[in-house]
Amino acid sequence: MPLTMVKAGEPNVIRKIGGKEETRRFLENLGFVTGGIVTVVSEIGGNMIVNVKDSRVAIGKDMAIKIMVN
Amino acid sequence: MSIKIALAGNPNCGKTTLFNALTGSNQFVGNWPGVTVEKKEGKLKGHKDVIIMDLPGIYSLSPYTLEEVVARNYLIGERPDAILNIVDGTNIERNLYLSTQLMELGIPVIMAVNMMDIVEKNGDRIHIDRLSKKLGCEVVEISALKGTGIEKAAQKAITLANQKNIAIPVHKFAPEVESVLDVVEQKLGSDIVKEQKRFFAIKLLEKDDKIQSQMKLVPDISKEIEQIEKLFDDDTESIITNERYVYISSIIGECYTKGRKDSLTISDKIDRIVTNRILALPIFAVVMFIVYYVSVTTVGTWATDWANDGLFGEGWSLFGLEVPGIPILLDSALTAIGCADWLHGLILDGIVAGVGAVLGFVPQMLVLFIFLAFLEACGYMARVAFIMDRIFRKFGLSGKSFIPMLIGTGCGVPGVMASRTIENDRDRKMTIMTTTFIPCGAKLPIIALIAGALFGGAWWVAPSAYFVGIAAIICSGIILKKTKMFAGDPAPFVMELPSYHMPTVGNVLRSMWERGWSFIKKAGTIILLSTIVVWFTTFFGWVDGQFRMLEDMEIDHSILASIGSLVSWIFIPLGWGDWKSAVAAITGLVAKENVVGTFGILFGFAEVAEDGTEIWGTLAGSMTAIAAYSFLVFNLLCAPCFAAMGAIKREMNNAKWFWFAIGYQTALAYVVSMCVYQFGTLFTTGSFGILTVVALLFFLGFIYLLFFLGFIYLLFRPYKESSSLKLDTKNFARAK
Repeated sequence: MPLTMVKAGEPNVIRKIGGKEETRRFLENLGFVTGGIVTVVSEIGGNMIVNVKDSRVAIGKDMAIKIMVN
Repeated sequence: MSIKIALAGNPNCGKTTLFNALTGSNQFVGNWPGVTVEKKEGKLKGHKDVIIMDLPGIYSLSPYTLEEVVARNYLIGERPDAILNIVDGTNIERNLYLSTQLMELGIPVIMAVNMMDIVEKNGDRIHIDRLSKKLGCEVVEISALKGTGIEKAAQKAITLANQKNIAIPVHKFAPEVESVLDVVEQKLGSDIVKEQKRFFAIKLLEKDDKIQSQMKLVPDISKEIEQIEKLFDDDTESIITNERYVYISSIIGECYTKGRKDSLTISDKIDRIVTNRILALPIFAVVMFIVYYVSVTTVGTWATDWANDGLFGEGWSLFGLEVPGIPILLDSALTAIGCADWLHGLILDGIVAGVGAVLGFVPQMLVLFIFLAFLEACGYMARVAFIMDRIFRKFGLSGKSFIPMLIGTGCGVPGVMASRTIENDRDRKMTIMTTTFIPCGAKLPIIALIAGALFGGAWWVAPSAYFVGIAAIICSGIILKKTKMFAGDPAPFVMELPSYHMPTVGNVLRSMWERGWSFIKKAGTIILLSTIVVWFTTFFGWVDGQFRMLEDMEIDHSILASIGSLVSWIFIPLGWGDWKSAVAAITGLVAKENVVGTFGILFGFAEVAEDGTEIWGTLAGSMTAIAAYSFLVFNLLCAPCFAAMGAIKREMNNAKWFWFAIGYQTALAYVVSMCVYQFGTLFTTGSFGILTVVALLFFLGFIYLLFFLGFIYLLFRPYKESSSLKLDTKNFARAK
């Protein structure tokens, strides 16, 4: 399911990252890699703050929807 | 021989704090050639021959952001003697990702694990000795904020640089990847030195075209790429990224012991409240209210009054001691030495009055900048960008555009400069073009003048000015987004949020000073020069065919009056076509606060108060309220002062874009002012003329651009992005 559907505080495993190549690369550099663990800290209107490899990253709704987790 | 040490690390890892601690005030700040990325260089305290180079904060050495390209070109091309790699201890796994890349460059690397105090407070442990052994480089613990361990780190870096002890990457990828890398390394030409071979081999495998263009001989490795992509069922770049993270996870377990059981850190808990969907905006509003209340009304007023009426006015008292103001001191000094009349006039009426009026804003601005620097340093500003992104996205801007606009309420120059943190090229250009619509500190006197003179000090004039500014930004966003140049969605919002922390006093003051200084500098240079020109053209002119210095009441004969009469017809449709208003608007280009002073001089007062109380009556007699409001709107929206234009030119880094920005701003100002005047006159007096029709046409055109064009656009080009302006990939993501 997309990251936008995840409840806050629940750790999830990243399965796939879609979207434009540059954005995907940037997310990889920030620690979003397939198999990594992502936890949602908070969410406003689809935009979310997530925790990845001990760092906090804010991502817009249009990007969050392209990150698949389970 | 001097030693060069490069500081490299992720954004928000404390790199700048460390750089400041290592170099003190011994810094040189500039730009990397050809790009608007800041370049900071400094000499190590107590070591004249050691140069520290502060590289931009980066997450990787990939070619996707300008900062990354700048940093890696420096590391490959200039080859510093050592790299001091700063690693955020609270976020070590992600930070090591960059470290693995730095170690492949064939340059001695020393790692400084920063924020050790916080790591210990969290109850975590980092085993430095094991980390050092696993990574194959020296590792030291530091806390840049508290200053512990930094000298040791610098000393070790110097020793390492002298030994030329090149870091040999001990980390290995999967055997399949390594064997392919070996083949690629064999194929590399002789122009690549041995210790850089691994770096180039990896970059070639990643299909990095920027690296390829830097090589003399590019070997054909398409077979190798195909082979490994088939094997891993992924593209080479992702394979390498994955291999790096796999390697890091394989060593991190031994080197890092997590002490805390609670998975939420303090920062996470604060974020739960501060970025909460219900509380986020109210909290933000309260914070902003406090910032502006303090810096504009209480402390700000006190500081501005002191500067304007004390330092550059009658005088002020220092612990009961009466200190006369600068004009009075200069006046008596100049009279004492028997200075010529014209020079006396130039210095007092020209330079001191002009430059003094500008410098009078400095204290208030510095108070505002202290607050903004604090909000930035503690980590809240990044959250503001996140909160505002939802709203800004609706009219085609990114949440990161909000910070430049916030700073722009103080002064447009640092505001425009703050747009650098926006990585997407289109978003940044649009922010640069619209930031100066927000009334800056220097536009407030114009607002006060018009409100006081024509509207009896009505409360709504000042808020309406901000409203006009915000509306101009929103409409510009919507309209510009529809042009070919700006078409396409704003780049997805991705930004790392730093942990909340208490900033040091030194860092806040330094940031305040850097921004304030850009304003003071303009007062000392461009404004100084132009006040002399304005003074000269005001007080000299032809009287009865003779060129001479004018008496106070002969201003109608001045050069300035001739220039004003020559251009004033342009402003007739806007309702203020007399030469005095035209001249005032022109001097506003020098510095907006000049508008008030110029009116003062033109109406025969040598010096007027900041809001021009003395000339309210005369001004009210010379134009209608509607015309005055049109004058206000024009001055708010048109091309900003020379200093801000300079900042726009620097940040656009392109003459065509600069003129487009200035032209757009002025055209918008003209059209909006014209509509204000013509419609205002129509409604109040019922007079209808050819100009009313023109204004109506402009207005309809504007509405068309705003709504209708968008409708057609959506009809015919659903979801299709313009291919004419491709997303500037090299400029893409930079999070700060």
